[in-house]
Amino acid sequence: MKYEINFTINKEMISLAVIPNKTLLEMIREDLDLTGAKEGCGAGECGACTVLVDGKPVNACLMLAVEADGKEIITVEGLATETELDELQQAFIDHAALQCGYCTPGMIMSGKALLMENPTPTVEEVVDAISGNLCRCTGYKKIVEAIMHVSENNANK
Amino acid sequence: MKDFKYFKPSSLEEASRLLLQYGEAASILNGGTDLIVRMHEGLSHPEAVIDIKGIGGLNEITFDKETGLTIGACVTMKEMEKHPMLLEKYRVLAEACHSVGSCQVRNRATMVGNITNASPLADTATPLLALDAFVQVYASEEGIREISIHDFFVYVRKTCLKAGDIVTGVRIPNYDENVFGHYQKHARRDAVDLSTVCASVVKVGGKIRIALGSVAPTPVRLWQTEAFLEGKSLNPEVIEAAAKIAVGEVNPITDIRATKEYRQEIVGVLVKRGLEEIAK
Repeated sequence: MKYEINFTINKEMISLAVIPNKTLLEMIREDLDLTGAKEGCGAGECGACTVLVDGKPVNACLMLAVEADGKEIITVEGLATETELDELQQAFIDHAALQCGYCTPGMIMSGKALLMENPTPTVEEVVDAISGNLCRCTGYKKIVEAIMHVSENNANK
Repeated sequence: MKDFKYFKPSSLEEASRLLLQYGEAASILNGGTDLIVRMHEGLSHPEAVIDIKGIGGLNEITFDKETGLTIGACVTMKEMEKHPMLLEKYRVLAEACHSVGSCQVRNRATMVGNITNASPLADTATPLLALDAFVQVYASEEGIREISIHDFFVYVRKTCLKAGDIVTGVRIPNYDENVFGHYQKHARRDAVDLSTVCASVVKVGGKIRIALGSVAPTPVRLWQTEAFLEGKSLNPEVIEAAAKIAVGEVNPITDIRATKEYRQEIVGVLVKRGLEEIAK
């Protein structure tokens, strides 16, 4: 049986009929072709699938697609405008805060969620916010620096 | 993940009726951070998944002096860890919530889900045991009843809940003073790990209370250690002796996270540190 759901993703309104045994992540990647969010562990440990649901970061692999009914979802594809990257995306590039890139969409969404809630987080707050995102390449230092760059910019505004 | 029927009832009556109708083949879906992992890994394959997040009134934190603090079943751990009332009066509970999983997990996971899973290492169970909480349960015939947290856990992954029961919230009594003391989690790494041993060592109502997780088939309160401490001042000798009694009072096992002997050692350390913190 399929269930009719309505939600917005990256500000676009979507109506879709989904099977119950499909995760939000599978729906986003396979039905909506938004492949930024990745499945790493499928168990809520790596954070590669992080998306924002009603402004809060969640693991899209641990949420059913049917649960998205009535929700507002933002994925990494929803951050940039047509011509301009989000300042956090730009900071990741400027600080070389990625190598293989697999964790990057999740890392950016966790960082973005923190900055939306608290525009000027401390290093400790950044580390806490990304503690659910694993990166096997960078050693995290440059990722923290990239997020802190936006934090410091916000403090100076 | 196998196919199932998804229900999102809007009332407790309807949810309870579905639970009774499907019996063992039904699972309640709340935050989903345990259930969906189990379904994904093929450990759990319910015929009916009953999402309780459409039921009104289950996502509030309320407080009054008569009844104390009530936390609804659908309140997330993230909402709890930053709630001003918890941070001020029941800090140990906010700390336990913060120790669970990641931000992403805590934005979905609930304390009620954590305790109804009845894992021996449930992080939020130890503050609730220490604070003599009550679990509020809805059943279709009798309405809402309260069960003492001390009667709630029966065995590994087993509670005293009956078919059709739905936990609607948890109530913690009001204490005149703020709960003093901390939650401690000993795990293999700092973030996103399960507890090897966890402990709530607090003082409230003029009494020291100690509860531990991952040291027995259920989370436990250390009544003998507490009785030993009754009326004693917390000097180094008393603390040392209490830590020894605590080690003898628990019954941990060896598993993938640690050996029995290691856990016993850590019990002594956490109880000692907790009491030293209170003695300061």
